[in-house]
Amino acid sequence: MLDKPASALRLRERLLDSERLMEETGCYDGITELTLRNQDPLKFETLHTKLRAYCVSAREMARRISASPGVREVGEMVVAIYTPEGDAIALSNGIMVHVHTMSRFIKWMIKNGYEDNPRIREGDIFANNDAFIGTVQVPDVMDVVPIFHEGTLVGWAGAVCHELEAGGITPGGDVCLAQERFTEGLFVCAEKIGENDEIRRDYVIRCERNLRMPIYWVLDEKAKVASCIDMRESVKQLISEIGLDYWMKVSKEFIEEGRRAQLARTRQLTVPGIYRGHTFYGHVTAGKPGFQLLGDPDWLYNIPIEMEITTDGKITMDFEGTQPWGYHSMNCTPAGMDGGMFVTLTQHMNFEGLVNDGAWMATELKLPHGTWTNPDNEMVATATSWALLLPAYGVFQRLLSRSFVARGFVEEAFVGQVNSPMIEMGGESQYGTPFGMAHFECAAAGSGALAIKDGLDTAYVGWNPESDMGNIEVWEQSMPMVYIGRSIVPNSGGAGKYRGGCSFVSTWLINKTSHLRLHTSEHSSRVFDNGGMCGGYPAPTCQKHRAVRNSNIHELAAKGEPLAHAPGIDPHVSDYERNIGGDHVVVEGPYITSPHKSGDIFSHSYNGGGGYGDVLERDPIKTAWDVENGFLTREAADQVFGIVLKDDEDGYPIADIDATVERRAAMRKERLAKAIPVADWIAKERGRVEKADFAPEVKKMYASAIKLSSRFTREFSEFWNVDARSIFMPGAKP
Amino acid sequence: MTSYSKEVLRDLAAGQLPWSQTRRIMSAYKDDDRFFKMVAVYQDRVAWKDPILLPVSDHLFICQSGDERITRCECGHSFGDYRKNWKLKAAINVRNTEEALREIYPNSDLPDPEWMEIREFICPQCGTLHEVEAAAPGYPIVHDFEPDLEGFYREWLGKPLQET
Repeated sequence: MLDKPASALRLRERLLDSERLMEETGCYDGITELTLRNQDPLKFETLHTKLRAYCVSAREMARRISASPGVREVGEMVVAIYTPEGDAIALSNGIMVHVHTMSRFIKWMIKNGYEDNPRIREGDIFANNDAFIGTVQVPDVMDVVPIFHEGTLVGWAGAVCHELEAGGITPGGDVCLAQERFTEGLFVCAEKIGENDEIRRDYVIRCERNLRMPIYWVLDEKAKVASCIDMRESVKQLISEIGLDYWMKVSKEFIEEGRRAQLARTRQLTVPGIYRGHTFYGHVTAGKPGFQLLGDPDWLYNIPIEMEITTDGKITMDFEGTQPWGYHSMNCTPAGMDGGMFVTLTQHMNFEGLVNDGAWMATELKLPHGTWTNPDNEMVATATSWALLLPAYGVFQRLLSRSFVARGFVEEAFVGQVNSPMIEMGGESQYGTPFGMAHFECAAAGSGALAIKDGLDTAYVGWNPESDMGNIEVWEQSMPMVYIGRSIVPNSGGAGKYRGGCSFVSTWLINKTSHLRLHTSEHSSRVFDNGGMCGGYPAPTCQKHRAVRNSNIHELAAKGEPLAHAPGIDPHVSDYERNIGGDHVVVEGPYITSPHKSGDIFSHSYNGGGGYGDVLERDPIKTAWDVENGFLTREAADQVFGIVLKDDEDGYPIADIDATVERRAAMRKERLAKAIPVADWIAKERGRVEKADFAPEVKKMYASAIKLSSRFTREFSEFWNVDARSIFMPGAKP
Repeated sequence: MTSYSKEVLRDLAAGQLPWSQTRRIMSAYKDDDRFFKMVAVYQDRVAWKDPILLPVSDHLFICQSGDERITRCECGHSFGDYRKNWKLKAAINVRNTEEALREIYPNSDLPDPEWMEIREFICPQCGTLHEVEAAAPGYPIVHDFEPDLEGFYREWLGKPLQET
């Protein structure tokens, strides 16, 4: 193959030319006039609608091919159509985060000489799951196929599925124990995996021999290739109808139109200025089996974000001041950061008009080199990059929402997404066979509140706007655990005038297995990794894991004794401890432990969203409904919200409005009596800062941020009127 | 062009519009006359006369107060020059013990107060809780929003502000 003449396509030159034109004109591919749109807007819009229909239809068809409940049940898939240079023209619903990561993958192949070797020909299939080439994490495996029309490359069709098993050091896809890329699982690095529309047998064999549950990955490959071929044939048919010249022009005008629309929407919905926010993530692994001591086991991550909206409508996000990459799986590549930006924009601003890579082009990310957002070492692991990505883009949602509130579009303000801790498992299945999978019921957390109503209960995650927890019966088919409970977690939404959406907790009985490895990731239990807005509180931290080994549940069931189906509302003693005998286990942070077996019980709580507005303004009548239906406890209604409830004749809670007014007036007075002027607090706190009187992990966080960012150092020093470097890095060279 | 009455926008902002109507507003093309109408809604809500220039939170507004532009609470309390961080003029209550965090999270596992605290920024006059920060101890207070007020009025609204 190496001695073959270079391809005549010269895509690389075309791509570089397109980037140069964008640089010179500020418009995508140098398109300064939307000629075709102006000539016939109806035809223009109709064609884009057709492309979108091709995508949606191809995805739905492909989901029926997949064997994975992640794809079939909760829709962990997205497909898109690209220009020859790899810019997204149209996309389906689903995990839209990957539309732009696939764009990076295509461009990477073009820039790395794939035209010459391994060559790009009709019927070829390329796959990738390397985040430094273009994806978020190892389970996000993408396939693309070129679209040719009479020998000319006229575009690409691409598809991504999130694989439930990636063959890493721990089962599942979000490989929580991975500390370098070499333990993340099976990598496919921009590889040609098929020719003539057929996946190579040797590639399938590699998958079959390196995965715990190859049926998911292999059938997902077939599903993706089928969807790509479906889109490819539809596009070819369309080109035969509208002509090649028109296609080549209109496909690019779609993107330029998308870019302009994004700028226009920013000018319509927001207010220019500088917006700031932050969040944190607590990585707690000390003493957990399996973690190599490659770095400090416990690590507090700060994620500050500064967003600037300029009067031309451009949005820039700057992550300066955040932490360095580490020997854990939570690092993220620029591709993943792009993806987070894209999926957030598609939900918040691109709710009308053309949705494609144009929106992304109207934004800019500043990702400091050497941080977790842009590691300067390509050996780092990114398997659980969502752990930091989700909190980060939750901040982005709150910053955007501040701008919506300022502009008067209160109905668009949304406190945002939260982390979605995931359970993964492997070992011996209920059928006696080896297995491995990620449990995707996490795809339905509680959302942050809105500025006009409560958040969504068990119905939202930022990474898949089509959030769905899946049916219990479907999950039970795939794992050796049966549900003995799935219920709302009271108070799991952050408190506020509008509370965050509540999450749920599942409880399982481990069943028909002698070896079940259970692991969790994206689990920040030591700090809040979400936030509230305009006076609303953050949702609770990730709840601890509660399990019972060697439980007596079968004896209790045989006697007809009451069981426990949820942890309950006492944080000190769970209902499992009250009702079920056995060895009770409470684990903070990621759950990494010895295998479980039949008769054990395991529970896992998901996260709720942050609140909006002052708690003392919450509607008492709605709160009574919340208490009646298990979204809030009576204790919280009284103590947090100042709402006095009494019982009606049937024992249901009703609000006592007069008593509530009185109680809230007292609480407001108490609030003022307790509070001190901020200036006084700063003066007092400065002494603590000067002595660096903080936990070791907090001190390390400051030292790391100061080392990487002169701006963080300056701002910290100015705020406290101290020399931050001499406090946190004594002896370091200036 | 989409447009809503001031009464509809008042109910929307108050969270009192029926969901079916709210949903239609969310799904419809946005109303280009929203900003000034919403400012008028807020102006009706406050007892003071300073013209509101920009809402910046649920109960905080930048307003024109004589020659100055200041951040004002709905109750009338002034937090001073809008370009400065209003939080520095607020009252604060910090929750950095398990006991204090438990008051807000009575039935949940808590963060470690050595790693994380909650800071409540309160209007010293009316006691409204305007903002909550969850931050590591020692983390500087965030200046949430520095609007480009003049650029906004001049270039986006086409109604330049009077020079002060």
